[in-house]
Amino acid sequence: MPAFQKVLIANRGEIAVRVARTCRAMGIATAAVYSEADAHALHARVADEAVPIGPAEAARSYLSIDALLAAARRVGADAVHPGYGFLSQNGDFADAVAGAGLAFIGPPGDVHRRMGDKKGARRLMAAAGVPVVPGYDGDDQADATLAREAARIGWPVMIKPSRGGGGKGMRAVRAEKEFLPALAAARREARSAFGDDAIVLERLLERPRHVEVQVLADASGQAVHLFERECSIQRRHQKVVEETPSPALGGDQRRALCAAGVAAARAASYVNAGTVEFLLDPSGEFYFLEMNTRLQVEHPVTECVTGLDLVRLQIEVASGVPLGLTQDAITTRGHALECRLSAEDPWNADLPSPGRILHLAPPEGPGIRWDGGIATGSDVTVHYDPLLAKLVTWGASRDESVARMAEALRRTVVLGVVTNLERLQAIVDHPAFRRGLLHTGFLDEHLTGLPRVPCPPPEALAAAALALSGTPEITGGPTPGRPSPSDPWQTLGAWRLG
Amino acid sequence: MRLVCGDETIVVEVRETAGGSEVTVNGQALRLHVDTVGPGEFTCRQAEHVETFHCVREGDVVHLFWRGRVYRLEEETETSRAAHRHAGGGLEAPMPGKVIAVKVAPGDTVAKGDELLVVEAMKMENAVRAPRDGRVKSVAARVGDMVSPGVVLVELE
Repeated sequence: MPAFQKVLIANRGEIAVRVARTCRAMGIATAAVYSEADAHALHARVADEAVPIGPAEAARSYLSIDALLAAARRVGADAVHPGYGFLSQNGDFADAVAGAGLAFIGPPGDVHRRMGDKKGARRLMAAAGVPVVPGYDGDDQADATLAREAARIGWPVMIKPSRGGGGKGMRAVRAEKEFLPALAAARREARSAFGDDAIVLERLLERPRHVEVQVLADASGQAVHLFERECSIQRRHQKVVEETPSPALGGDQRRALCAAGVAAARAASYVNAGTVEFLLDPSGEFYFLEMNTRLQVEHPVTECVTGLDLVRLQIEVASGVPLGLTQDAITTRGHALECRLSAEDPWNADLPSPGRILHLAPPEGPGIRWDGGIATGSDVTVHYDPLLAKLVTWGASRDESVARMAEALRRTVVLGVVTNLERLQAIVDHPAFRRGLLHTGFLDEHLTGLPRVPCPPPEALAAAALALSGTPEITGGPTPGRPSPSDPWQTLGAWRLG
Repeated sequence: MRLVCGDETIVVEVRETAGGSEVTVNGQALRLHVDTVGPGEFTCRQAEHVETFHCVREGDVVHLFWRGRVYRLEEETETSRAAHRHAGGGLEAPMPGKVIAVKVAPGDTVAKGDELLVVEAMKMENAVRAPRDGRVKSVAARVGDMVSPGVVLVELE
C-alpha cells in the first residue's frame, strides 16, 4: 500500500512538477494548487488534479495557510508537500497541516521555529560542538553592547537579522565608524521584513566557499547524511551553480564536515530531509551558517551521485516508516553539477525578464537531467521567482560532468524571455571554475560584465529569413485563455530608457 | 526584410530561383536550404553540412537560436521606425512590475543617479534612476500601479 493516498503539493513551478513525478512513481495521487496567474502553468497540468487557491499575489495564494488547507480538504489529500520557498519553513503551516489531521512532508513546526531563529540556532550548534563563525548571539541587544562585541570580533563584521533570510537586512561593516549607522539600517530592514529586529554579529569571512550537508532523519532519532554540496557560485546571496562532491574537500575534511552535519541535525531533533549550511574558510576551517528545514533547490545533484530519490525518502519518513538507510549503505558515484536557468537579463543588471515562452527545447542525452517548470506557451509572470528550470549533468569525474554541462547549455533552447543562459555558459567555461577555484565572490571577481551578444553570422540571418518566410507567425503555445494582445505582459518591448 | 540587431540594420532578401532559394545578406549571396522540423525548429543545409536551429517570430521581434546562442532581432517596419522617432525624454519601467514607491513629484529637481521610483517584480526591487540632472516634468505612476516597458513613468525637462 502506498505511504499516502493523495498528496497536495503546496507549491508551484519546477519543484511542484518534481514532487509530482516521485508521487506518481510511488502510486500516490497528486493534487496541485494554482493562483489566478498560474491557471495554465505546467505544474497545474502535470498533477492528477489542480485546484485554485486565490489571486496572483503570493500572500493571498501560495502563502495563504487557510487557502492551502481548504484546498487539501477539498481534494481529500492525506499529506501536504510544501516544496521549497513559500511556506516550506513556516512552523505555523506545519502545525496547521498536522492539526488538520494531515501529514506534513517535512519537519514539525517546533523544528522550523528552532532553526529559523539564528541566535538560538547558533547557541544550539555551539553547545553541540558544531563550529560556528566567531561572533555574538547574546540576548543583550543594546547598541553599545553590539558595538563592543563587533570590535571584539574584529573587522570586518557581518550584521545579520536573527530572523529571516535571503540576504535581507544583512550588512558587512569594514570599519568601526560605519558600525552604528549600518546597525540602525539593518534593524530597520529586519523590523519591516521579519517583524523582529534582533541582531546576530559574525566575523565576515573573506573568500569563503559555501558547502552544505544533506541530512535525513526519522522520528525515532536515526540520522544520516547524504554527503555535501558546494554552492559557492552565488549572485546576491542566491545560488546559481551547485555541485557535489565539493572540489575543495579532502577525505578527512569531508568526513568531519558530514559528521558535523549529522551532529547539527541531532542537536536540532531534526526529522525528515534538511540541509546544514557551512562556510568553508580558505584555511580549511568550516563554520555553521544555518539550517534549511526543507528540500533544497539543488537536491538533484545529491540524487545523481547517491542514486537516491530525496522526495521519496521525505514521503517515507513523513508516513512514519523508519529510515531503512544506514550510513554505510549510502555511497556516491561520480560528480554532478546543477545550473539554475532563470528569466533574468544578464546584460541588464540581472533584472527579471517576464514574458511568454515561445519555444522550448531542453537538452537531452546520457547524464543530463532537466527539472523544469515551463512548457512552450507558459507565461513567466512578475509575481514569482524567476527560476525556469534546473539543468543537471552527471559524469564519472568533475571534468566529465562539467564538459557535459558546457555542451548541454549550448543545446538549451528557450525563446521568448531573456534568460541567464550565456552567464551560465560563461561560468562553466571559466578557467577558474574548471579548476574548481570557487568562492562566494566568484561572480563579482571574474564575471561582472557579460559581453554583448554580437549580431548573428550572415548564414544564420539567411536561415532565419528562410524559416520565417515559409511559416506563419508563432505567437504562443497551445494553452487556452491566453491574454489578448493588448495585455501589457504581451508587449515584451525593447528594454530601453527612452 | 530589414533586421535590427543592436545598432546595426541588416537587409536580408529572399529570392526564389529555379535551383532553390537564394538569400542575400547585406548584398552577400548565400545558398542554403531550410527545412521545418517542427514548430520553431528547423534544419539548415549548406553544401553537405546540416545543422538544427530554432526561430520564432513575435510581432516585429524575431527570436533566433543559432549554435548555442540566443539572438533577439527586430524587424524594421514603418511602425517600428515611427516608434523609434518618438522615443524622447521619458523614463520607462525597466521591466513589467508593480510600482512600490514614487520618490519624486513634478517640479522636483533631481541629480543624475537619484531614485525616482521603485518597481518590484519577481521578489526583486529595482529603482528607476535619473539618467541626468534635471527637473521632473511629470510623473505618470502611482504606488500600486502595474507598469511595463514602453510606458513613460517619469518625464524630465
